[in-house]
Amino acid sequence: MTNIFASHEAEVIEAVRAARENHRTLEIVGAGTKRNYGRASHCDDVLDVSGLRGIVNYEPEELILTVLPGTPISEITALLESKNQRLGFDPADWGPLFGAKANAATIGGVLSSDASGSAAVRYGRSRDSLLGFRAVNGAAEGYKAGGRVVKNVTGFDLPKLMCGAMGTLGVLTEVTLRVFPKPFCSAALIMRDIASAEGLALLRRIWSSPLEATGLSYIPASVAFPELGNIGEGAALIRLEGAVEPLREKVEAALMLLGNRAEQINDETIFAKIGDGAAFEGSDWDVWRVFVLPSEAQKAIARIQSPLWLADWAGGLLWIGVLPGNDGMLLRESTEPTGGHAALLRTSDETRSRVAVFLPEPPVRAALTKSTKAAFDPLGLFNPGRMWDGV
Amino acid sequence: MGARVKLPEPDQSIILRRDKIVSALRALVPGGVVADKAGLAAFDGDALTAYRQSALACVLPNTKAQVCAVLRFAAEEGIAIVPRGAGTSLSGGALPLADGILLGLGRMNRILDIDYDNRCVVTEPGATNLSITRAVEARGFYYAPDPSSQIACTIGGNVAENSGGIHCLKYGLTTHNLMGVELVLPGGDCVTLGGKAPGANGLDLLGVVAGSEGLLGVVVEATLRILPKPPVTRTLLAAFNSVPAAGQCVADIIAAGIIPAAMEFMDRNCISAVEDYCSPGYPRDAEGVLIIEADGVAAEVADAVTRIREIAGHAGASDVREAQDEPERARLWAGRKAAFSAMGRLAPDMLCMDGTIPRYALPRVLARMAEMSKEYGLGFCNVFHAGDGNLHPLIIFDVMKEGELVRAEAFGAAILELCVEVGGVLTGEHGVGVEKRDLMPTMFSGVDLAQQQRLKCAFDHAGLFNPGKVFPTLSACVELGHMHVKGGRMPFSNLPRF
Repeated sequence: MTNIFASHEAEVIEAVRAARENHRTLEIVGAGTKRNYGRASHCDDVLDVSGLRGIVNYEPEELILTVLPGTPISEITALLESKNQRLGFDPADWGPLFGAKANAATIGGVLSSDASGSAAVRYGRSRDSLLGFRAVNGAAEGYKAGGRVVKNVTGFDLPKLMCGAMGTLGVLTEVTLRVFPKPFCSAALIMRDIASAEGLALLRRIWSSPLEATGLSYIPASVAFPELGNIGEGAALIRLEGAVEPLREKVEAALMLLGNRAEQINDETIFAKIGDGAAFEGSDWDVWRVFVLPSEAQKAIARIQSPLWLADWAGGLLWIGVLPGNDGMLLRESTEPTGGHAALLRTSDETRSRVAVFLPEPPVRAALTKSTKAAFDPLGLFNPGRMWDGV
Repeated sequence: MGARVKLPEPDQSIILRRDKIVSALRALVPGGVVADKAGLAAFDGDALTAYRQSALACVLPNTKAQVCAVLRFAAEEGIAIVPRGAGTSLSGGALPLADGILLGLGRMNRILDIDYDNRCVVTEPGATNLSITRAVEARGFYYAPDPSSQIACTIGGNVAENSGGIHCLKYGLTTHNLMGVELVLPGGDCVTLGGKAPGANGLDLLGVVAGSEGLLGVVVEATLRILPKPPVTRTLLAAFNSVPAAGQCVADIIAAGIIPAAMEFMDRNCISAVEDYCSPGYPRDAEGVLIIEADGVAAEVADAVTRIREIAGHAGASDVREAQDEPERARLWAGRKAAFSAMGRLAPDMLCMDGTIPRYALPRVLARMAEMSKEYGLGFCNVFHAGDGNLHPLIIFDVMKEGELVRAEAFGAAILELCVEVGGVLTGEHGVGVEKRDLMPTMFSGVDLAQQQRLKCAFDHAGLFNPGKVFPTLSACVELGHMHVKGGRMPFSNLPRF
């Protein structure tokens, strides 16, 4: 296995051309924090794109940022912070969850794995923030798609397709993102000692109100975060944002909706920890991210009966731990028939070569996925098999 | 008709088989086939009025099963399909083909499920945009994308065009409010993409279906996100004595971290046309006005309004006033929404452009457009979604006057090329369709376009869906090097590919 290092698009093109000629598959790696996410993919060589790093263009007044995909999220966040802006989708840092370094993850990896955190419930996932990109396809051609403005319907919206594609469609070489103004203040509310059924119902009530909450999570007693103190049966957590007066109004309105049983806490880092999967860092359990209808979250939890779980996105996203090596069938049967889908985020190499990491697709859809893969990577050079067999 | 953009040559062998095709379609969709000349004339184009073409036949299915059957038949016979909603496309997306079946989804207009618990609505594609909000507003919800044609345009068309509207600055385009679709593929197979649960399982194919302009499949069901209605909405009208000052005000508001619910600009020509038409009370002596709307909880809106007033003052607004009550607010918006109709009275014909530019380029682009108007000898006015830099210059002309249509189209093309030159795009919300098809190379290289076309091939290998739209060249999928995957198998899957 060779480690090919590329720091310009031209070098990526050269690497892909060589891979085509020499019949070698490529594992695309940025900081390498999430190499164990997805099916086990046995590539011939590694294409290291962490050298494609740097800010290409930042226009704070346009709310637009163009960067090279190997740029660490931490660097981007710091830059945006200096202009009181941020990424809307709360990029998650899954490094520590996989035993890798914290604050190393790159924007390319975060987009490719759609590592979206708590605020996605309000601002959308990573796909809703990627406006345009440059990439190299399986024919070793550099191309661009999308644009540098928010409102754009010129041609197919390929940026959406690249988010969450696990690097199976090509090598990103430049990305343009929409950024958001940072609110003046924010507040975290906690409602302690509340059972999951009631807690999740209250989160949905806030979600259906005009308060535009940017965090709607539930944590059961069994995974208590020490910094939250005693949470009894479990805690519902809500993040609200705005200028001083507006925020006060929102907090009051939320407290009313919660029957005045909630209180404000000072520590908001809890939402980043939820998105990062910090609750699962110390354990060797397998970790699933399960997407469900918010109204079905409680039923799913009650059936699955795992002590290690938590809910985000008003119940639409469940993080669930299962015993190592478990095939996840109970979890799938409890969520997929009602329209949900489960993805196995962290597990052992043995398990991810045996268990479907993503929900297997029905035949027509699977054919469409393979056709789409072939449209970008006809020879199957990039991360082959990372999603499903052949994709 | 003198129009510039050429449609694909019709296949005479299909036209010769027309009678047989029509009777086969009648068997598949009883009572839902329009084939007589007068009937077809009602479907011979959309809101891009310079292009007219009668379809081979128009089919109006009532059910998903009928859509599948028609598409299966069309694939077997090698007949092209042009999907159509209400025919309000401004880019010619629903322009029929002489040898193609026009598939009108207007009869499939039922709302199937309103799910407040999961904040979504499941609907058939023919339901109008406005009907979604109407169905949920009593419970305090609404559907955010609001194209000006919302009373008529359908959800299926909105998905195809990724429609925007006045409020997408804050609430996003259709794609940001679309959770799932059921899509019938060329050949008649049905596939579900997305749904009521968040996240994408596997590739985000839903993301490319939104805005695919009927080139990838037919939407037979859509799941839409509904939003809680903001408790307070306040609307300001700011007048400016210079257009660049208005542009500066827009840039300053965004730079101050305010995201208004809407921020709309109209220039002097437009103000005067609108005042003549429906007297919304805009200052006739202003060079331009901005309608700025803030929504949210009361204190949040109050805060935004105070800051917007300050910024507008600094930018040189000659007057800033707020709608005092709901009727006045409605009147301010009525003027904006009537802009197209008002301009329509000034000349027999009108072309509405749709480029998006970075906001900082507004003053430069506006000044250059005024020069171009003189160069081309045609009047125009500017009305646009200022907050997101989405321009809608309206060019007025008379198709009966020698050369005016050609000049109008050249003027329009020059504006769009200017948009691309300053870092913008050809279309912000109307779509490429027929209208901007031949301009695609100003924004995309041959390699860029070939990549998009290969995605088209993944869905529609035979190229039967809306051919002649979006892409300037009709390339066969084999020429593009796309491998056809049938039944989940790569071609020659038993052969080693390395």
